[in-house]
Amino acid sequence: MDGPAVEIEYLRKRYGGFEALAGVSLTVPRGTVFGLLGPNGAGKSTMVKSLLTIIRPTECRGRMLGKPIGDRATLGKVGYLPEHARFPEHLTGRQVIGFSAGLAGVGVEETRRRTQALLARVGMKEWADRKLSTYSKGMRQRIGIAQALVNEPEIVFLDEPTDGVDPEGRIEIRKMIESLREEGRTVFVNSHLLGEVEQVADEVAILSKGRVIESGKVAMLTRLAKRFEIRTVGPVPPALRQVLERGGMRVAGDCISLDAEDAAPVQPVIDQLRSSGVAIRELREAKDSLEDIFLRAVQGKEAA
Amino acid sequence: MRAFVTVIVDSIRLLRARALFWVSLFISAFVALIYLSIGFDDRGMSLLFGAFHFDMPFMTKGSEGAELLYLGIFRNFIVAWWLTWIAVVIALVSCAPILPEFMTEGAAGVALSKPVSRPLLFAYKYIGALLFIGLQAILFAVIVFIAIRWRVGTWNPTVFWSVPVVLLVFSYLFSVLVLLGIRTRSVMASVMLTLILWLMCFIAQVGESVCHSAANHGIGITGGELSEEERASWKAAYPWARLPYVVLPKPGETTSLLDRWIVLGDGDNLGNSTFEAMNRNGRFDNLDEGVKDDLARHSPAWVIGSSLAFEAVILGLACLAFSRRDF
Repeated sequence: MDGPAVEIEYLRKRYGGFEALAGVSLTVPRGTVFGLLGPNGAGKSTMVKSLLTIIRPTECRGRMLGKPIGDRATLGKVGYLPEHARFPEHLTGRQVIGFSAGLAGVGVEETRRRTQALLARVGMKEWADRKLSTYSKGMRQRIGIAQALVNEPEIVFLDEPTDGVDPEGRIEIRKMIESLREEGRTVFVNSHLLGEVEQVADEVAILSKGRVIESGKVAMLTRLAKRFEIRTVGPVPPALRQVLERGGMRVAGDCISLDAEDAAPVQPVIDQLRSSGVAIRELREAKDSLEDIFLRAVQGKEAA
Repeated sequence: MRAFVTVIVDSIRLLRARALFWVSLFISAFVALIYLSIGFDDRGMSLLFGAFHFDMPFMTKGSEGAELLYLGIFRNFIVAWWLTWIAVVIALVSCAPILPEFMTEGAAGVALSKPVSRPLLFAYKYIGALLFIGLQAILFAVIVFIAIRWRVGTWNPTVFWSVPVVLLVFSYLFSVLVLLGIRTRSVMASVMLTLILWLMCFIAQVGESVCHSAANHGIGITGGELSEEERASWKAAYPWARLPYVVLPKPGETTSLLDRWIVLGDGDNLGNSTFEAMNRNGRFDNLDEGVKDDLARHSPAWVIGSSLAFEAVILGLACLAFSRRDF
């Protein structure tokens, strides 16, 4: 099927006087990993829950998998791992997956087959028939991911999927997300762990105070934020520092950084340093991480 | 259908995981065993499988008295006390957390994000909870059915009326519990308020009955004859006394329907046989036809219909609240 996996034209959610989502627009291409970033309370979970009918948006226009958002049949093609997922303690991992499959309308035999495969996929085969009360946080999260995949969804929403998972488990979850993309599924990841999202996401959107303040392909965003860093032996003399800062550069101690697509604008700075008798220790091309972009976007938004 | 079966299976698992369910089932089995231990022979009746014997010529094996006593114990103790009071309270306490727990953050998300509508999910959850009392009532009815055959010598399928009756009584109260659970999300508050409503139903029924007797038969609260003037004031008050009775469910009267529906071997119902037995033994000689009529003046359709109407309204409100809530 063509068209984006999710296309939000306008999404607004108010809780009394508080605006959790202030008219968000967003497009998630099919077959990609999409990261939704934002500080706590930005509205990330509210957005996902609105798409999945768990909360009722105040106003919503858009489509998911080609159908209007909220279409119940479409939810059969969607998987969801909630943030702080609380599955009943008296159930076993296998039963949790079975429950999710049953509600999604997956047949009994098919459920049995898929459950077995998913348990192996999330590394929980040995623990499948033990109660959740005996599981660690990370194990619960793995079962949560397995139940989200049992209906073989076209799009999977993972809200903080690595929450409580140890470093080894995080790598496995990242690999799983990559494998889902390879299978042609769309993965929508809500996370505050920017480093992880950067490693796996194709596109991101940054949400702050209910608004999308930055969005695009990760490669594009990080390339846009390309810069050069020059390190000197000892701190930059105050007089020279003033001159450089007037020229739009940032100076912190022994580090001068300037935004530039190529090395040409760096040459006059080198000349200036040399003519002032300042020795250069290091010159390197640097890219902003997603975290830098995130912080700049959020801080810029707050300042505005 | 698959989703329905899934929720029901989940409910059964939930019940099995609750200690109260097993405690309740254990006590049920114990009560049933005690009931089963009552026996009759050619000389009279025995208790605890013959440990205690009482010579009672009118309650020998196969006699109408034995059948009446045996069914009377079932109706007046097991159904009236255990199944409609104690077991219902235990069931209410056990089932009270079902919706509040389901509605906590992180618990409802998975179910609500599936292609099952909220009203359907609500209905499945509700039916699942009815299983708690349903299973106990069925277990009891089966034991009693077998016990009657063993002890009295007749098959009496009318005892199975106790299953829908007990289920109805529980469902009236559970609908209120569910609504309160959704509104307050507090297990304790919803249980307490439901028990208060239950008490209100009882008061409303007694109030209406007393008022009706006074207004129509001239019988006062203490049983004495009323003057015409007093009777007229009771008549004026009657519509007000009737209003809460009409509006509220009727758990007590619903249970009393078993008196009409459980039929003895001679074809007479338990209620009539009880009255006749009372009169034969010289008790309640003054039990006149007016009182008798009073006790049976509401048809089963009225009792159940008006209670179900209340339940439907409450469930509708609960379903609406559940469907509109953000999780």
